[in-house]
Amino acid sequence: MFEIGGKILKSRLFVGTGKLPDYSLIEKMYYEAGVEVFAVAVRRIGPNTRHTRNVLEYIPKDAVVMVNTSGAQDHREAVKIAMIGRELTNSDWVKVEIEKDTKYLFPDGFETLKACEILVKEGFKVFPYIYPDLNLAKELEQIGVEAVMPLGSPIGTNKGIGCEVLLKPIINEVKIPVIIDAGIGRPSHAAQAMEMGADAVLINTAIATSADPLRMAMAFAKAVEAGRLAFEVGILKEHEYAQASSPLEDFIGG
Amino acid sequence: MLIRVNDREMEFCGTIMELLLSVNLNPETCAVLVNGEIVKKNEWESFVLKDGDYVEIVSFVGGG
Repeated sequence: MFEIGGKILKSRLFVGTGKLPDYSLIEKMYYEAGVEVFAVAVRRIGPNTRHTRNVLEYIPKDAVVMVNTSGAQDHREAVKIAMIGRELTNSDWVKVEIEKDTKYLFPDGFETLKACEILVKEGFKVFPYIYPDLNLAKELEQIGVEAVMPLGSPIGTNKGIGCEVLLKPIINEVKIPVIIDAGIGRPSHAAQAMEMGADAVLINTAIATSADPLRMAMAFAKAVEAGRLAFEVGILKEHEYAQASSPLEDFIGG
Repeated sequence: MLIRVNDREMEFCGTIMELLLSVNLNPETCAVLVNGEIVKKNEWESFVLKDGDYVEIVSFVGGG
């Protein structure tokens, strides 16, 4: 159990619902993999658009909806999307994701900070997607966001924890939860993030685009749990040379 | 009367609620912006669209 954004949650695996082959998998992930937080995006729907189905209809009512502001190019657009999200869901959880560049999808820290300042004042539970930048993370903590969501590597790349030396200081120094978001491609990457002391991970592509999203979500759920448990126990130090596991004396005679 | 809906021009006269029903959308699951501003659900029945209005209908889709 852990507390985040005013909720008590059991699962530290948050799942993004983009690219899923079938929205009915969401309910299965909730019941069978124990996922409680689902990220969703706001897009145009209806005439002249690709989208005709509303993903909210598929999210169990006790699950937490995290509205992602993806598609926003600046803080004004992000704030508008958050407002629309709250209007539609009554959920005040918002993931602030602002990107100008579409090749790497790197977050714009300056615009993100401005959006978060406004949204915290508007009473949202704010979860900013950021570079692993300790200074920015501390600024965001100061203004009252619920957690920071630094990237492991660029969105959808499956490259895993590409910058441990930058992430670890954030985990060590900020007091709010740290959710590693983006780039995690395998359950072992998620376990690594949790062993490092992350409070949660958010996975989308690695689950949604796998051959069997439900079973992959279950694999991630176990990895997240294993990594967290190991972190709580305490990961041992590495040694340069072998350290015998069996006693090195009283051998039987030859 | 001509309005723009999600980037396409459309012949329409009536309120926001009538527009949503005419394009077969469930009003429960949509939000509507007119000329960039969110219009609250409780105003949809009385909000009459004007010639040249730009309407965006949004909802939730899968996202990360």
